Amino acid sequence: MSTVSLEKRSAAAPGLARIVRHGRDWAPLAVLVALCLVISAFNGNFLTIANLMRLLNTAAIPLVLALGSTFVILMGSIDLSVEGVVALTAVLASLLVANNISPLAIGLWAAPAAILAGGLLGFVNGWLHVRLKIPSFMTTLGVGFAGVGIATAILRGFTARIADPSFRFLSLGRVFGVPMAVWIAAVALGAALVFQQRTRSGRWIYAIGADESTARNAGIPVERTRILVFTVAGLFYGLAGVLSVAQFGQGHALISQGRLFTAVTAVVVGGTALSGGVGSVLNTVVGVLIVVTLANGMVLMGVEPYVQQGVQGLLIIAAVALSLDRSRLDVVK
Amino acid sequence: MPKGLQTPPWTRRDVLKGAGGALAITTLASSFPKPAIAKETTWTLANSMRSLANPYHATFAKGGEDFAKSIDARYETLVTEGNSEKGVSDIKALLQRTGGKLILNVDPNDSPDARVIVEECQKAGAYVVTQWNKPADLHPWDHDPNYVAHMSFDGVPNAKAIANALFAAFGGEGGVVALGGILSNVPAIERKLGLDMAIKDSGGKVTLLDFQPADWNEQKAFDITQAWLTRFGDKVKGVFAANDGMGMGALEALRQNGLAGKVPVVGLDGIAEAIKATEAGEFAGTVAWDPLWTGGMGLAIPYAVATGKLDIAKEPHAHREFYGTGIVVTKQNVAEYKKGGSKLDFNDLWGKATGQIQYRG
Repeated sequence: MSTVSLEKRSAAAPGLARIVRHGRDWAPLAVLVALCLVISAFNGNFLTIANLMRLLNTAAIPLVLALGSTFVILMGSIDLSVEGVVALTAVLASLLVANNISPLAIGLWAAPAAILAGGLLGFVNGWLHVRLKIPSFMTTLGVGFAGVGIATAILRGFTARIADPSFRFLSLGRVFGVPMAVWIAAVALGAALVFQQRTRSGRWIYAIGADESTARNAGIPVERTRILVFTVAGLFYGLAGVLSVAQFGQGHALISQGRLFTAVTAVVVGGTALSGGVGSVLNTVVGVLIVVTLANGMVLMGVEPYVQQGVQGLLIIAAVALSLDRSRLDVVK
Repeated sequence: MPKGLQTPPWTRRDVLKGAGGALAITTLASSFPKPAIAKETTWTLANSMRSLANPYHATFAKGGEDFAKSIDARYETLVTEGNSEKGVSDIKALLQRTGGKLILNVDPNDSPDARVIVEECQKAGAYVVTQWNKPADLHPWDHDPNYVAHMSFDGVPNAKAIANALFAAFGGEGGVVALGGILSNVPAIERKLGLDMAIKDSGGKVTLLDFQPADWNEQKAFDITQAWLTRFGDKVKGVFAANDGMGMGALEALRQNGLAGKVPVVGLDGIAEAIKATEAGEFAGTVAWDPLWTGGMGLAIPYAVATGKLDIAKEPHAHREFYGTGIVVTKQNVAEYKKGGSKLDFNDLWGKATGQIQYRG
């Protein structure tokens, strides 16, 4: 999956070892295919166009979030501010379009405004992390809490209902039978791919994630790149905030509850290593599809609710175990 | 070195930073509420709840504020943020600060917290009313006169009533799907029980296609409802949600599939969005708990005790542990509900109480 690691490794690996290593790169995709086969054996409706559209629609917001998280995780950091940034940008977007609380109504301009606000929060994450040398774990946790807190304070616990059909079109509209949210997520994926593959900063992320001191010695502006990556992640979260508001027709402080776990799980299940340097946004696409398909499939198969969480946990461990290259791990923390 | 060239102990940048910091602190400080100065009563009133980030508790807090204003008393809100430790220690701190001259209306984060809170209040001489959560063997009459009352709402009959409203909305025959709360929550268990009773009473005409806990979470409810539409298709005649938040998630999933208004949804709690959806005909109804009433009366009753107007020890048990009135709001009465919703008579202490609390199993 990840082209970099593939090229680098296949040159050195002979025979069987090469197959095993290739297998590892494709493991997440194999898990996804197996999952689809099992579910469709239980329920014939799974592979219908209608359900696939529903699946993609469900995957849209988690994908946008996970794309942002991917870059941070590739760098070897972690971003726990997902829910806070989404909450704040969602509340902002819902107050900027025609709604029942604020008199503002700037229509679709609310979308870029909310995305920029997300970028700003991401910048704060990066700046605090780099300049004050606070571990990303703590900085982003703090910024995330602050985000939810500010969102709560703005609305005082209530919900802003939006009354702007053009804004809701971002989620409810369909173009060629495909929900708008899916198109938007696809564009976000394209942008993420370009950033990863075609920009210098995108390549530097891998260098920093693999070995930061070597990257520094090679003249890579580590600090600047780190701040940039957190900012880019924030932009993606802002977009997810916009999509959430369009999906539910409302904005409130708890709109993103539970999103952080899905985002990080999807990235890791897709085969991106938490230690940094290994992975790709394409891995994340597969990871998101695994997590979403699993949740959808368990309802389709009629798995007992009590058992569902257990199955989810086991499958996550299995997916990570299959894709992990143990020979390259010196230390496991 | 000539004197003029000596570097000052601070740079221009430091001064600017300091000025910026001072400005930030001033702005922040001025955004906090000013302490009340002259007040009519020496009692401090406080409502304690999980968080202000949900409409139910935000309205609960407003009910308390309304009562405090009506008697011109000091009023504070405490939030636990879902943390029992924080909830209890904030209350202890407030008891300390007010020297026990405290009237507390608390929705404990977890049932066991209620015992600690009641004991602390009794020690300090404060008066307390609890909401929703308390251990079954903790009774107000065992802690006279400080533990004034416990208020709750009966999930079973209200869930049954709203389930019946749902069945009526699709003609009384067909399959329903149900979204539950966190499995171990008392309200989640009661509401499921009420739904089960309504289905049983339908005599086989209504069947439960599937039940999934969505943990009170709107997003989860959305995802599960999408999957149900694939699994059951048009066999789904109605969606029962154990609270309105999940009901809103289900409604948006239906909307994505062009089914909003065609497949009715019901919820409980009576949040503003659900009332609006009921007016629009997308919800078949909801049950309103009237948090404005619990927020206000949970202070009005102990205030009457504290000021000597009421001898709580002489009141019957049905006035010490009681259910409030859930209002079943449907398309038929939603206009009426919206008109008369917010008027409160703080002297009518038990006007909206409906019977003594029962303990099931």
